[in-house]
Amino acid sequence: MYDFVQGPLITIAFIVFILGLLFQLIQFFRLTRKKEWGRPPLPQEIKPEKKTAKTIIASCLASLNGTLWKTDPALTVVTSVFHVLLIITPLFLLGHNILLNQSCGWGLFSLPESLSDRLTLIILCCGAYFGGRRLFLARVRAITSLYDYVVLLIAVAPFLTGYFAYRQWFHYETVMMLHILSGNIMLITIPFTKLGHMLFFFLYRFFLGGEYGFLRGSRTW
Amino acid sequence: MNKVISNQEIKKVDTKKIRTLLDRRRGKMKRFLSYCAHCSLCAESCFLYMKHKKDPQYMPSYKVINSLGKLYRKRGKVDRKSLDEMKGIVWRNCVLCSRCYCPIGIHVPSMIAFARTILRSQDVYPQRNESSSESWL
Repeated sequence: MYDFVQGPLITIAFIVFILGLLFQLIQFFRLTRKKEWGRPPLPQEIKPEKKTAKTIIASCLASLNGTLWKTDPALTVVTSVFHVLLIITPLFLLGHNILLNQSCGWGLFSLPESLSDRLTLIILCCGAYFGGRRLFLARVRAITSLYDYVVLLIAVAPFLTGYFAYRQWFHYETVMMLHILSGNIMLITIPFTKLGHMLFFFLYRFFLGGEYGFLRGSRTW
Repeated sequence: MNKVISNQEIKKVDTKKIRTLLDRRRGKMKRFLSYCAHCSLCAESCFLYMKHKKDPQYMPSYKVINSLGKLYRKRGKVDRKSLDEMKGIVWRNCVLCSRCYCPIGIHVPSMIAFARTILRSQDVYPQRNESSSESWL
């Protein structure tokens, strides 16, 4: 069992993860089409305002008023930190890069182990915050089902087991197997569950034309 | 209050037609529904949610999950009672002002509009002479 989880299952998980995301990417471009958006003509005479550091900072702060920073700053911070660390922490973990070096002959830059440990703890705290919201906040509870808890568990489990493994809490080999297994489950489920918003966030906000797009998206459904 | 008996209550639900309509926009709508993180961050962008003392029923995500989401979950096999409940959600609880904001980029108004289209196909829509505890906006 341990040999299968540590060996072929990792390869299978990465193949499913990459092919699954590719499939979803192709499907997105098949379901959407390019569109020339009609834009209102710009006024002829525009005198560019003189920009100073003060006006730039003021306009940046003013632009935050209409965003989630204004309506729910705590969740905005927690969710931003959680999503960034979810990618950075496993990618630049020393243990992962040593394994990568052993199997492929190359590895990424690694963060100090103590820092990775702290980042993992922050991820777990963020996960607990999301779980708490689902349990205790009426508006989130109204749209929460068992599936939402399972998805949260899938996202957090690799970090929880990794945290235990680093500290050698409980039976080390069992915890390590659970860590690898939960990581594989996360990779496999990303393209086919709501964890797929990892890819679709960028597709929706950068490629689709719309009021809330980050760029002037040129595609439409 | 006089109970209004309209064609909405007599006609049988054409589940086949609902399924055909659901399949027509399956690719887009199913993706929107399945990638919704149920984070509730869309709530404050709805003026009806704010106006109704932050009642979760007025959250854009709640409206979508309990109308179009329900139709996809049940694969169109819904009864008239469910359709009537959805009528309240997509017409009374939403005015399609298109101000709802989703951090992931899910387009909620198009989903509500599609749910309305499906309900209309079953002759479910607010009647002019319909008695209601709340006025239709």
